[in-house]
Amino acid sequence: MTTITILGDEVATTTGEWADGRPLVEPDALSAAVGWTLKPEGLCRDDQCVLVGDGSAIRVGDKLDLAAVANAVDQPTVVDPDAGIVVLGQPNATRQAALRDRQAPDFTLADLDGTSHRLSDYAGKKRLLVAFSSW
Amino acid sequence: MADEGFLVVAVAIDENIDEVRSLAENITYPVLMDPDHILTELYAISNVPAVVWIDEEGRIARPNAYEFGSDLLSEFTGRTRAGHFDQIREWVHNGTVPEDASSQIADLSDDEVAARLHFRLAAHLRRNGDEDGASRHFDAAAQLAPLDFTVVRAAMPLQGESPFGEEFFKILAEYEAAGTPFHGIIPASEA
Repeated sequence: MTTITILGDEVATTTGEWADGRPLVEPDALSAAVGWTLKPEGLCRDDQCVLVGDGSAIRVGDKLDLAAVANAVDQPTVVDPDAGIVVLGQPNATRQAALRDRQAPDFTLADLDGTSHRLSDYAGKKRLLVAFSSW
Repeated sequence: MADEGFLVVAVAIDENIDEVRSLAENITYPVLMDPDHILTELYAISNVPAVVWIDEEGRIARPNAYEFGSDLLSEFTGRTRAGHFDQIREWVHNGTVPEDASSQIADLSDDEVAARLHFRLAAHLRRNGDEDGASRHFDAAAQLAPLDFTVVRAAMPLQGESPFGEEFFKILAEYEAAGTPFHGIIPASEA
C-alpha cells in the first residue's frame, strides 16, 4: 500500500496501490478520494447516480481504479504512476453547460491576500469576468 | 458602475503573485489567483485576456471574448478597443448585448482538456521541487495543445524562459498561420 496524491479542486491524499499504472483503492476509500460512492445502483454523489453496469470497467479484483471511476462520471484524468499522482479534472458536463446552455460555472479562488471568493458570492450583480496574466 | 449592480472579477491565470500584485495595484475589485488554471478548463479559455459577461442569475450573457480592455481593464492589458466600454455600459444599464454575444464557442477537445491536466500536474511538481517531472508534463501539455497560450506560453516563465522571447513569437506566428484558433470571440481590434 502506498499514498496516492489526488490533484482535484484541492490537493488530497489517499491510501492505495498502483497496478500496471492504474491507481487502485479499497471501495470504502473511494468517496473521500473522489467524492463518488459505489452503490448497487452505480456511482453516486448527492442525489445523482451514474450506471456502471457490472462494474468491470472500474474494478480490479476487489479494488477500484480511481481514474476509471472518474472517467465513468465524465471527469477527465491524467495519471503519473512514478510521481504517485492522479490529476482529477473538472466534470466535462460543467464546461459543456457553460458553452451550450450558458450556465456560468461557479468557482472558488483566493485573492491576493489569501481570502477565498466564489463567483456566486456576487450573484445578483452583473459580473465582468476577466482572465488575465503576467505572461 | 460598481454601485449599479455591476462588478469586475479579475482572475490571474498565473502563479506569480508578485507580478500579479504589481499589475493589480490600486484595483478595488476582486483580483483572484488561479495557479492551477481551473478557469481555463471550466470556461474553455485558451488565451488571455478573455472576458466573459455573466448576468445577475449566473447566465453567460456574452461568452469568452479576446478583449483589450476599456478603462476598466486597461490596467491589465495596456490596450483598449474603442466601443467595448460602451457595450458594457449598454449591457449594465439596459441589458442589451452586442450581436456577437450569440456566438457559439467550440468545446475543448479531449487533447486540450488533457493538456490542462498535464499543465496542472507540471506546475504542482515544480512547486514541489521535481523539475524533471515538471518538464516532462509541460512537454506533454505542449504536444497536446501546441497553440494554446494558457498551456504553452504560461509554461514559459515556469521553465525559466521569457514569455516575450523568441519561442513566444515563433508560436504566435504558428497561431496566426493556423487562423488564430481561440475559443471565443475575437472582435475587430483597435489598438
